[in-house]
Amino acid sequence: MSESRRQAAAATGAGTDTHCPYCALQCAMTLTPATPLVEAPVEAPAAGARTIEVPGPAVPSAGAPAAAGTDLDVNGRSFPTNRGGLCRKGWTSPALLRSPERLTRPLLRGPDGVHRPVSWERALERIMTAVTEIRERAGADAIGVFGGGGLTNEKAYQLGKFARLALGTSRIDYNGRFCMSSAAAAGNRAFGVDRGLPFPVTDLDGAAAILLLGSNVADTMPPFVQHLQGARDAGGLIVVDPRRSATAAFTADGGGLHLQPVPGTDLVLLLGLAHVVLAENLADETYLNTRTTGFAGYRRSVASWWPERVQSITGVPAETLRSAARLLAKAARGSGCFILTGRGVEQHADGTDTATAAINLSLLLGLPGTAGSGYGTLTGQGNGQGGREHGQKADQLPGYRKITDPAARAHMAAVWGVPETLIPGPGLPAVELLKSLGRPGGIECLFVHGANIAVSAPDANSVVAGLRRLKLLVVCDFFLSETAAEADVVLPVTQWAEEEGTITNLEGRVLRRRAAVAAPPEVHSELWIMERLAAALRAPSSFSSDPETVFEELRLASAGGIADYSGMDYALLDSGAAAYWPYPAGSSGTPRLFAERFATPDGLAVLTPVAVGPEHRSRQSELFVGTSLALATGRLLEHYQSGTQTRRVPDLAAAAPVARLLLHPLTAAARGIADGDQVRVGNDRGEVHCRALLSTDIRPDTVFLPFHFPAGQNANRLTSAVTDPISGMPEFKTSAVTVEALPQPQDPVRSTAWQNASLSSVSAPSLHV
Amino acid sequence: MAERLVIVGFGPVAARLIDELTPAIAAGTLRVSVVGAERDAAYNRVLVADVGVGRMDPEALALAEPAELAALGVDVRLGSRVVRVDRARQQVLLHDGGRLGYDRLVLATGARAVLPNLPGMNPDPAANALPAGVTALRTLQDAATVRSAVAARQRVVVLGGGILGLEAALALVDEGARVTVVHHGPHVLGRSIDAVGGAVLGATLRRRGIRLVLGARSTGLARTEEGAFAALILADGRHVPGDLLVLCCGVRPRIELAEGAGLPTAAGVLVDHGLQAHSDEHVFAVGDCAQVRCPDSGCDRCSTSRGPAGLIGPGWRQAEWLAARLVQLATAPNSPAPMPLPAETDGVILLKARGVDVATAGDAAAEPWDFADDVPDDETDQGAQCSGEPRHIPVCTHGVPPAPVEAPLQVALWADPEHGRYVKMTTRAGVLAGLVCVGMPRTAAELVLLFERGSELPADRSGLLRLDGPEQLLQGIGTPDSSADPEATVCRCAGISRGRIAAAVEQGCRSVADISRQTRAGTGCGGCHPQLKDIIEQHFAAVAA
Repeated sequence: MSESRRQAAAATGAGTDTHCPYCALQCAMTLTPATPLVEAPVEAPAAGARTIEVPGPAVPSAGAPAAAGTDLDVNGRSFPTNRGGLCRKGWTSPALLRSPERLTRPLLRGPDGVHRPVSWERALERIMTAVTEIRERAGADAIGVFGGGGLTNEKAYQLGKFARLALGTSRIDYNGRFCMSSAAAAGNRAFGVDRGLPFPVTDLDGAAAILLLGSNVADTMPPFVQHLQGARDAGGLIVVDPRRSATAAFTADGGGLHLQPVPGTDLVLLLGLAHVVLAENLADETYLNTRTTGFAGYRRSVASWWPERVQSITGVPAETLRSAARLLAKAARGSGCFILTGRGVEQHADGTDTATAAINLSLLLGLPGTAGSGYGTLTGQGNGQGGREHGQKADQLPGYRKITDPAARAHMAAVWGVPETLIPGPGLPAVELLKSLGRPGGIECLFVHGANIAVSAPDANSVVAGLRRLKLLVVCDFFLSETAAEADVVLPVTQWAEEEGTITNLEGRVLRRRAAVAAPPEVHSELWIMERLAAALRAPSSFSSDPETVFEELRLASAGGIADYSGMDYALLDSGAAAYWPYPAGSSGTPRLFAERFATPDGLAVLTPVAVGPEHRSRQSELFVGTSLALATGRLLEHYQSGTQTRRVPDLAAAAPVARLLLHPLTAAARGIADGDQVRVGNDRGEVHCRALLSTDIRPDTVFLPFHFPAGQNANRLTSAVTDPISGMPEFKTSAVTVEALPQPQDPVRSTAWQNASLSSVSAPSLHV
Repeated sequence: MAERLVIVGFGPVAARLIDELTPAIAAGTLRVSVVGAERDAAYNRVLVADVGVGRMDPEALALAEPAELAALGVDVRLGSRVVRVDRARQQVLLHDGGRLGYDRLVLATGARAVLPNLPGMNPDPAANALPAGVTALRTLQDAATVRSAVAARQRVVVLGGGILGLEAALALVDEGARVTVVHHGPHVLGRSIDAVGGAVLGATLRRRGIRLVLGARSTGLARTEEGAFAALILADGRHVPGDLLVLCCGVRPRIELAEGAGLPTAAGVLVDHGLQAHSDEHVFAVGDCAQVRCPDSGCDRCSTSRGPAGLIGPGWRQAEWLAARLVQLATAPNSPAPMPLPAETDGVILLKARGVDVATAGDAAAEPWDFADDVPDDETDQGAQCSGEPRHIPVCTHGVPPAPVEAPLQVALWADPEHGRYVKMTTRAGVLAGLVCVGMPRTAAELVLLFERGSELPADRSGLLRLDGPEQLLQGIGTPDSSADPEATVCRCAGISRGRIAAAVEQGCRSVADISRQTRAGTGCGGCHPQLKDIIEQHFAAVAA
């Protein structure tokens, strides 16, 4: 985009201030209708492709969305989280709005398995018929709802209400069970509340040390990296990752330390760090005495984790562990220290305990609630924070209330104007819910909103088999995702730039999402769909298609809850106010939690001892049997989640077109694998065929696959549905696999092209395959 | 009716056992008494040296809290000794005359420090009558003795250059003591390490300020007029003077109780694979006092039983397993025992010291030249091997056919004594049978993992040495130098190549902000801003020239 055009757009005041559609950093951006005169759009639809473009006014007046199909330009907007920065996912996001693959009409799958466009009336009628029949015959719990952490607060809230009041089912859960549930459980256990970052992101800037466990922010939320600079300058960035990720590479040249443990041993590593802090008298005793409980039992639990023992399990040298602990303690006493966890340490069968161990370490150092220091978990999905607060979790009601709490139930019954008995009890967490698909007594009809479980759920082959056993599968999406492709009814819904609403970012700040462009005529918001279906089902209470109306009800519903939004409204958010929950009516919100007390009954943080049990050891010992390797999964910079969106953005798809297996050259040599070779990665759940990418950036006993790719490249065909006993989080990050070379197709250009492509190297060129 | 369980000994293994039994105790399935001879409840003995030198508080070693256990209903008896086990009556007799009845008895009596029999020292452990200035290093009480010597910056003589002796010596010297290690062998760590590794380690220790006296046989103590330790006298007549003598001469399982009760013992109390004493289904033994050797003389696993490992890991694993078994016996006594404990691999030794990295495991003695000509290429080699190196003789057991002839040991070495680095990888069919690693922390960490997993090493063993190289060597091998490649990505966030940025500069961009506006480079994390500046500088330098 040219500077002159940008200035022209700014001068007209036509830009719409909103936030990026992707991750939880929710980078601020401005969307401006592009004048179709100047340059050709960067992402031109393929020749001959079906298009949804509708001619519209070149420059609409401020406040009114541009007509459907209008090209949008995107600009980074100055905001504390992203400081004007965007990554290439954000820069290219408008391409999604006019993708030739965009769904623009409801689809019904015929007996021949082919999806054909139908009217909304026809699609909704099909749903009504099946729901009514199944409810009468098998009961309401035979209907399930699967939500998403990408839905706006309004949709997440109304979806929970829709499931419980309109469908009458307890069986609702969401894909956040796959990402945030372990950290949430750990946070609730220790602090009495779960807000990803209980402080603004900008607090990180002044820290002398940041311990980042299992998070590759340089790829997953690049503009966030700006907030690590202070710690890097101080030599205090400590990254824990079995892979030398782009983030871990920031520790080079004096930036800090990279700890490269065996996958699945993060808990032991954290116990070891705590041991060193205690052994070397580095703990904050005053803080422990005045702000925590449970210290004596906790100290005993780490007494047996001396560094050399930890080394023999994690592979992290004892001396490196000591250095890391000392660095953290020094920063905690100096200009500040943070401990941040990500999915890498949380997505395990002991994820809640691992997150607890990280919290315990932070309490030992006196970080939470201390100005300039803290503990936080980096929420992943766009509305991963808000998505877990408003009642789309199996065990929760809006306001982060427990569904089993009589007072919470009474409150919600009053807000909804229904008898308390009408609100179902707790349902099943996601993995259990999916296991029950099409099983006797299980789910017969499933609604999926903002999730692509055929790719993103663990043991994906089993999930797809479950979807195929259903009597009715209804999927709302913008594209024919791999899950939508399995659906009986596909409903086309609005995208981020076509809708109003709110999103709660990774720091608990509530942001406005605004419409910059009208949706295609037959595309509707999920709110509208719920309103229609609720009416047809003669549901009690009220359902609305208007986001602000829903938000007003959400405020009442959340009042008095943990995540209290009652004091904020659209007008306040539109004013640009930095609104962090809890924001009870009459307050001005809470940028920093825990300054005076924790949200526990006695106001003290709870140190919960965690142990490494025999189950953990047996899981670890099963990882490396014979020639098996540990598989870790994660994200690429170019892609987001299951890739439903980013794989359809030409620039992104060109830069990272396929999955590649990252493995160490020594590991490859033992298997006769050369860089770029076609390999098979397999275990008893499934197999993936892809190219090999050789790099010493990864431990020799570990391989890495990105999880954005479908079908034969779907990493989740290999992951296990074993779950954490507390949170229900599946074991995504560590699976035993074998890797072998496949017969290589004859391809003379292959070797050089693939050698030049590197996941994390700065020299990665764009591949146009 | 709850089963009565008496545990004799309250060390780390007993503490783990009680931890694991907690749910059953709370549920009323078991009533537990634990009798500990020391005043302190279980603590982490492994770290006693750290308390001895004053850098850890005793509280940080605690593994159990008597008050909490009492609240749970556990009968905790500290400073109490069991003097006899009356198996006929299923009772233990306490030193104060008290008796405790049991349905099951667990001996977790551990081991005691070996006190050498030297003139001038009364080696009667029961009387605890060491002269002033002489101590072992096994208990918190010992640690207190050492602590006062360190506080006074005294001269310390450590007798024994084994793992405990070296850990004590390094901790002592770190905290300001003047330390001499007296060791009988030609190099420290005895058979756990080989001669070259021992020499490299010895040099490292000397660099750290420790005086080593090797090949030294002690013959007695010289004492001051007050009777306190003054010097260690060696066989060659030399005196090694000091204010404190720390005895690190190994440990010996405590088996007197079992012997007195007529239970079979060898190095330790003999137990079967279910940790049950031979011939008494009511008695079990775990940890340092227990020796797994089942009564079946044909048992393959037991034929190499050498007594307790003296390492804490196996003891803890035994405790976890035994807890599950005891609960099973209390609830469903006739059910078959669960899967027996997996056999322990040879112990890995990691020196617990700050800044000195030593790992050894398995066979340390093999040398590269031992097997250089020993490549089996026909059947006659079998006989040659069996009559050759003792390590190659297959274990011959009654009733069990001899194991197939094993592949020969192969040894790969790296030695750099000047920089304190040494690695020996001894493999059999590519799998580690032994390792010695000095001064290479990452390599050591990986080798230990590979040893414990039994994973095959990479054919290029040198790849494992490079783990301890500088970071540049670790970066992707063959990653092309991107400083000139126009295709190379400079801004990862936006995916912008050097070529596009250079073109923007050619077209007039003079600042990072200009480039960002024109190309989106530098608009994400900002990490490439230095490179953008460089490209601008290069352009204008070229133009000026």
